[in-house]
Amino acid sequence: MIAIYLCAAIAVYAALRIITERNTMRKLPFLNVISFAVTAIIALLLPNPITIIAAAAYFVGSTLESNAIASTWAGGIKKP
Amino acid sequence: MLDEPARILIAAALCWINFVAIDVFFKLPESGGVCGATAIAEEVEKGGGNLHGGFMLGNIVSSPDASAGTLLAACGVYCAGLPGGLFAALLVYIGNRICYDPGYAGTTGAITATFLVYGMTQVGFAPSDFIAGMVIAILTIQGISHVHSSRLIARLWDFRNRLLGGHP
Repeated sequence: MIAIYLCAAIAVYAALRIITERNTMRKLPFLNVISFAVTAIIALLLPNPITIIAAAAYFVGSTLESNAIASTWAGGIKKP
Repeated sequence: MLDEPARILIAAALCWINFVAIDVFFKLPESGGVCGATAIAEEVEKGGGNLHGGFMLGNIVSSPDASAGTLLAACGVYCAGLPGGLFAALLVYIGNRICYDPGYAGTTGAITATFLVYGMTQVGFAPSDFIAGMVIAILTIQGISHVHSSRLIARLWDFRNRLLGGHP
């Protein structure tokens, strides 16, 4: 049980760091920590084989969103 | 056997070594995989960190790398044993392709982590220790101080290049 509370505490800590960080690009690694913690909580709460698909889908989806936010904020792909 | 907090800390150290070694070996600190990763690296450098360490931070944000592989493999072993871990490796491979990542760091990390977690369950560890351990490991790189973690990664990146070569 300690594992799940630890993951929840880390997620809350990372959320507070996102709120206090002023620079948008530097917020994203903290968002990544939340994705890790939430993926861990999904798996720890639901010990079922199908959970792997749910956890991976959540994680890949949130990574793709961070990728899109970072790339859009950076100005997208520079066209020649 | 050890108490749960001690097992989680040992698992965190093993996960940290697994994902950092594989990410550095697969040249994640060399350059940004997408323009967003490069932008994160530049901001980390502006904040006083190291550019190569920043590239790795940006690449971890932008695509499932060995850290994601380690977490999902631990989740797989927790939910369905050894086959679950290998299935998680397949999902990480698909995730890499979805995020336009041509590398194999995530898949390799998931496969090595599957055997690491499964092996440690044979000596008294629980897979849940590794799930929590991986969250602590990613916290140390991404969530405490980008300046210090990027400098640490840069030092490991220099060490890798001195050992294996291949740096311009």
